[in-house]
Amino acid sequence: MSILSLQGISKRYGAVQALSGVTFDVPPGSVFGILGPNGSGKTTLLGIVTDVLKADSGSFQLFGKPGNAMQRRSIGTLLETPNFYHYLSGWKNLEISASIKRRGADDIERVLKVCGLYARRDAAFKTYSLGMKQRLALAAVLLGDPDVLILDEPTNGLDPSGIAEVRGIIHDLARSGKTIILASHLLDEVEKVCTHVAILQRGQLLLSGAVTEVIQRNDFVELSAADNQALSALMLRYPGCNSAVISGSSVIATFDSYPDTAAINGWCANNGIWLSQLQLRKKSLEKAFLELTHTSNS
Amino acid sequence: MKNIIWTEWLKVRTYRTFWVMLLLAVIIPVAANFFMANLFSNGDLKKATQLMGQPFSFPDIWLSVASISSYTSGLFAILLIILTTNEYTFRTNRQNIIDGWDRREFVYAKLFWLVALSVLALVVSTLTGIIVGLSYGDTSVSFEDYRYIVYYFLQVLVALAIALLIAVLLKRAGIAIVIFLAYSMMIDNVVSALLTRRFGRIGGLLPLQAGDELLPVPLFGKMISKEVYEPYVYFIAVLAYICLAVYVVFRKMMKSDL
Repeated sequence: MSILSLQGISKRYGAVQALSGVTFDVPPGSVFGILGPNGSGKTTLLGIVTDVLKADSGSFQLFGKPGNAMQRRSIGTLLETPNFYHYLSGWKNLEISASIKRRGADDIERVLKVCGLYARRDAAFKTYSLGMKQRLALAAVLLGDPDVLILDEPTNGLDPSGIAEVRGIIHDLARSGKTIILASHLLDEVEKVCTHVAILQRGQLLLSGAVTEVIQRNDFVELSAADNQALSALMLRYPGCNSAVISGSSVIATFDSYPDTAAINGWCANNGIWLSQLQLRKKSLEKAFLELTHTSNS
Repeated sequence: MKNIIWTEWLKVRTYRTFWVMLLLAVIIPVAANFFMANLFSNGDLKKATQLMGQPFSFPDIWLSVASISSYTSGLFAILLIILTTNEYTFRTNRQNIIDGWDRREFVYAKLFWLVALSVLALVVSTLTGIIVGLSYGDTSVSFEDYRYIVYYFLQVLVALAIALLIAVLLKRAGIAIVIFLAYSMMIDNVVSALLTRRFGRIGGLLPLQAGDELLPVPLFGKMISKEVYEPYVYFIAVLAYICLAVYVVFRKMMKSDL
């Protein structure tokens, strides 16, 4: 059973078609990335799923049933911006979230500590910095240790160490088997954690599915030696190598099939070139994404 | 419902604006009643008053307290507007839904305030009536004519229902308060007066005017003979306005994007 299943969701704001006929499924236990540039409809989509926005047409199911308030209580959601009562402290704001989720306040201390806000728990929300507000929103998401999380741009407003911390948290959650729906325009953020992906552009779903199936990412090898010219010429003679280009201080070689670095190392040594660097690399999701969205543009 | 009330309590528990406004909304009508009772119980005014009855003795005290208090029901309305528009300003109307309230429960939360504040007005006016009546009146406690306090309660309910409607439609505290005050202090009266001049007593059926018709001004009200309906007509009209306002609030909340 899918955690979330969308069928033909459409939404229009005046002249802007924010979403048109978006359909995909989020399998349990997946880390599902919703990718797209700003304004592609990611937040609108998640707003519809959480019932703060109404779709013009289409339907969705959470846990196999039409979405309702009870299901939302068992999902941790961060949508767009942190929304809290400015005059209340972080702690008291979480008491309200806990109350609406029909949970006791006993988990508040834990989530504030996880998000690094425990020391400022009694300060009013309005005194928080942007990053701290975002941390409080994350704390609210983690409240009650939900099995499904919806995170819309979770690293917004965080400093580099905050971003790293949040990624760490997402990693840990993913490893513990939780389903995470992660919307982001930061591709490296998604690349590091996602198992599945849906790519949106101007409200259209370009494609969706498991990351490995959806995005063809040819692996390539980055190598260098004392004489890169000779190395490049040698690599072109290597069986299955279809290109070897000098790029900066190294040679980028691509192959018809999955490259075997040990064999490459042996081949070079046997031909009298000693490698100073040999690294298997994947084409970044960003590059794949840009190629994809660029193709659909033209 | 228990969950909703508890959650609303958490929202206001340490909210200073709420407590200050609440205190004002309670103190001002009480003080106004004592002031008027005091004013009409001394010297020449006392003699003049006695010619027309005893407005601060039971049972007439109920009409006096209801009538005087009704001028201050806007204070409760402003408080309700602040509590409602806060949710829009902080976008917590979204968060409450995201966290797991049904949209309907969000409306119930605001209707809870509508009822709670009205009941508070009812309790305060009743206690004020008893205390002022005992302090300034010449008769013992009597609940004859207590219906005027019930009319006042109804008038607070309709004022708060209109305030809630304006808050939900306009979403911003400042503009909502201005529009509410303009409506309650002027528009309702002026339109009612114009209608009355052209079409007769039907002008008295506007939301706030209907409440006023149920509460004639003490002393003078009884002497001015004007064409009116039976009280039950106004009573039903006020109830209908409350239902209509609540219906529109529900419709708006259930259908629109937050």
